[in-house]
Amino acid sequence: MTTLAESASTTGHALEMRAITKIYRVADDEVVALDHVDLTVASDEIVALVGPSGSGKTTLCSIAGGLLSPTNGSVAVAGQEISGYSGRQLTEFRRASVGFVFQTVNLIPFLTARENLLVVDEIGPRLGRVARDRADQLLEELGLTDRASNLPAQLSGGQKQRVAIGRALMNDPSLVLFDEPTSALDSSLGDQVVRLIRDEMKARGTAAIIVTHDDRITHYADRTVNIEDGRIAE
Amino acid sequence: MFLALREMSRARVRFGLLICAVGLLVFLILTQQAIQGGLITGFVGALRQQSAPVLVYSVDGERTLQGSVIDPGLEAKIRGVGGVAEAGWVGQSTFTVRVDGGAESDAALIGYEHSGLGDPSRLSSGRRPVGPTEVVGSAADFTVGSRVRIVPSGPAGATSPVFTVVGLVKDAQIQVTPTLFVPWAGYEAAVKAANPDATTVLPSVIAARPTSGVSDTELVRRINAASPDADALTRSQAASDTPGVAQVQQSFQLIFLLYGLVVPLVTGLFFLIITFQKAAALTLLRAIGARSGALVRSLLVQVVLVVGGGIVIGIALFAPLTLIQLGAITIRFDPGAVLFWSVGLLVLGVASALVAARRVLAIDPLEATTGGGGL
Repeated sequence: MTTLAESASTTGHALEMRAITKIYRVADDEVVALDHVDLTVASDEIVALVGPSGSGKTTLCSIAGGLLSPTNGSVAVAGQEISGYSGRQLTEFRRASVGFVFQTVNLIPFLTARENLLVVDEIGPRLGRVARDRADQLLEELGLTDRASNLPAQLSGGQKQRVAIGRALMNDPSLVLFDEPTSALDSSLGDQVVRLIRDEMKARGTAAIIVTHDDRITHYADRTVNIEDGRIAE
Repeated sequence: MFLALREMSRARVRFGLLICAVGLLVFLILTQQAIQGGLITGFVGALRQQSAPVLVYSVDGERTLQGSVIDPGLEAKIRGVGGVAEAGWVGQSTFTVRVDGGAESDAALIGYEHSGLGDPSRLSSGRRPVGPTEVVGSAADFTVGSRVRIVPSGPAGATSPVFTVVGLVKDAQIQVTPTLFVPWAGYEAAVKAANPDATTVLPSVIAARPTSGVSDTELVRRINAASPDADALTRSQAASDTPGVAQVQQSFQLIFLLYGLVVPLVTGLFFLIITFQKAAALTLLRAIGARSGALVRSLLVQVVLVVGGGIVIGIALFAPLTLIQLGAITIRFDPGAVLFWSVGLLVLGVASALVAARRVLAIDPLEATTGGGGL
């Protein structure tokens, strides 16, 4: 019998989740946030994760990104089985293997756009010049070269999201997780950002899960996965 | 380091004000420490600088040179104690004097019978007296070559001794009064000039030196056991047990304790507040893979830079103050005290940031998904 990590490694899946259950204990009650969820994302696939509030989207995304451990089940990211990881191992995993773009706070307010990218290098084993070159290249690709020295407060909403995307790509991740990336943007800007996400992911062959309420995003995704009451709706 | 320095450079006013506040507190601490040192030196510096290892007061004198009188009977008992290698008279009185023909002022004379028992241990300049009209003066008050005339009491035109200052000694005042060390014959002449009715000049204390193999404290114990009227003290005890010295030290210690609380409270509260303020950023950093230990290190680097910067500013403000004389009190730059407070405040500053550090350690990276602060 092959392990999940071996399976993900041989099949080239960016993410393979099997029978994921997450139960929260609230006082004496148990709340089942995820109930035996299976999800596989190919190495260059963009998946839109759609569902109503409280359906378990963010919990699923958090487990895939190593922010949360499942109560039961297995998770492998790029062949790396993480469900048994300690807190310290998960921290290292998040730093090295995944990228995050969160719904609200995405940038460090006292760092410039360029420094917000370089912080990824600063919190791990430093690559120095290589990291600086990569940050400059990402800023150029994202059309932010002239904004590199600006603090987040000096950037528009769309520019902030682009910097966040650049930060998420700094560590060359196998999987990028986007949590409601357009919720704070108007429809035109939201459309631009989603197209940018698609272009960047496809150009790099990087897998992505986009948690969203926004139906327009699903058009840019390779596949849409619906989740309801903690279960994947087929 | 990257995060710590970047944050400080982007919030220069906020961190600059805190560094200045710590600097002012350090300046106040060092100044008060120096005032305490100068005040106590002014009170009892002469006792510290004199050469006798043991001083024997009369119990009635309550450990003040001027209040103590040794009668011949008590002197004989002291000299008879086993372990006394050498003993000599030391007297002290305050006189009205004219220095170099100037206005009348007060000066304390300390008369000693034998060199090495009551005269200054070491001079800062000049030489030791070779006759009864030569004296060594406190360096803060006299210069070599000054002539000090005792103002006589009694009818106008009465004669009085005139002393020439031939040597100086630093930190050698007593009772915050300009002080002169004079051989016994000169002291006796001064007392008789000021009090023509005096027939005999008795010593204030007996200075004693132990024989080889007997420690100063052992000699003190033996002398005190020999007579209930004797109150023998080592040189350092004589200085520290002088009435008023302990009270001054206690008062200043209370002030230092308050400063010792204020500095870490100010820095601790500051870092706790900014930790709360940047909770979202810290949560984001944890979510993208920053170790909590790295964030705590960044916090501690800021604490060390803030307190260290404050110490540098405090010392820079304090140093010029040590070049001036504050009335009769000399403000000294004491490297030992500066080092003590620098290390102490750094340790207290770091300790005060531990509450903020605990908050950082408690951050849950999952809060980044909800936009929460994690604190």
